Parts: sequence; structure tokens; C-alpha cells
Amino acid sequence: MYREGYTQQYRMGQPPRVLSTKDCNYLTDALSWELLASKKAHFLASQCSDQQIKHQLEQISQLHQTHYDILLNQLNNTEHDHDHFGYQGYRQ
Amino acid sequence: MNSHNRPYGSYQPRFQGSASPTIKNPSTQVQQGTQFNDRDCLNDMLATEKWLTDGFNVFAREASHQTLHNEVMRILNETHQAARDVFNLMFEKGWYSLHPEQPSQVAKEYQKFQGYESQLPHQSGGMYQPRQF
Repeated sequence: MYREGYTQQYRMGQPPRVLSTKDCNYLTDALSWELLASKKAHFLASQCSDQQIKHQLEQISQLHQTHYDILLNQLNNTEHDHDHFGYQGYRQ
Repeated sequence: MNSHNRPYGSYQPRFQGSASPTIKNPSTQVQQGTQFNDRDCLNDMLATEKWLTDGFNVFAREASHQTLHNEVMRILNETHQAARDVFNLMFEKGWYSLHPEQPSQVAKEYQKFQGYESQLPHQSGGMYQPRQF
């Protein structure tokens, strides 16, 4: 797309929406952090007697699960094919 | 002085005759044995959240494209918020105490750094506005 649509002088102002190898490594690291954090918060909630603390820990468990899904989506949704750059659809 | 008889959110003297109070709620009692108690649970979770913010800070800085950076910034922000929530709950339970600095000491530092302001190369109230997130 870049070569066809623009002259050779065209410069990208920002990196395209493509996962670098480094991005991929960080994403997989972060996914395992979030998985562990979510399971841990859920386990700790089950160990607590105070209802307020239980509730707070359960909420944190859910937050980390949400973060897990966001990160997983980045791993799934980022364009691998440059020809489809700009595609905004989400696969659920 | 029995701190448990004091009203919620009160100031307690740090020690008898001290002018500087301790900011602390009455402590919620937990079992003191070897078992992992409620306070340990929150402490463990707070340590986890702190550790996560370090990780996500590096990730946000190193992310390649803008969309990924934005998502990681959002996660970083929410992780900080989770850490705050745990900290606030621990404070509410009386498991954290704060010691206010002497106002005279704060005033001294203020004057010192107000003096250093003349070394700044730009007029105060510069044109640069931080980006809104």
C-alpha cells in the first residue's frame, strides 16, 4: 500500500499499526502478568473474611481479566498484512 | 490512650506531648497467627499492583505504534487506580499511618525552591501546554 499509493519520497509520520517482535514479546509477558494477577486476586478474595475486602479483591480480579482481554485483542487484531492497513473491524 | 475509642478518621498524637499528630484510622484487628490474614491479602495485592505498574510503564514506553501505546497507557492508568483503591482500603482499615511534615519545614523548602526559580530559562506561565489525555 505504501509503495503503490505514494511517491518514493513519502515518509511515515508514525510507525504503522503493525506488531513488532518486541511488541509481541511484551504482549505475551503482560498477558501472563494479567492472568496471574486475576487468578491471585480471585484466590485472595476467597481467603478473606471481611466482605469489603472480598469485594475489592473480586473487582480487581475482574479488572485484570478485562486487561487480559484488551491485550489478547491486540495480539489478534493488529494487521499482519500491510495491504489491509487502516482496517478497523474487530473480530470478537 | 486507646485509639479504638476515637472517632473515625481522627488525628492521634504521635506520642504524649508531641505537636505533630499521626493521621490514622483505628486499626481493624486481624488474627496475629501464622495464617495468611485479611491484611496480608491486601498487602500482597498492593505489592502485585505496584509491580504491575512498573512492568506496564516500560511496556508503554517501548510500544511501537500509537494504538498499542494508547491501550497500554490505559492499562497502566487503571493499574495505578487499582493500587490506589487497595491503599485507600488499607488506610480505611487503619493499617496505614501518615506523619505530616512540620509546616515550618515545608515553608523552608518552599522558599528554597522559590529562590531557584530564577534559574529557569523561561518566564513563568510559558506557552507550552501539556497534551490532554
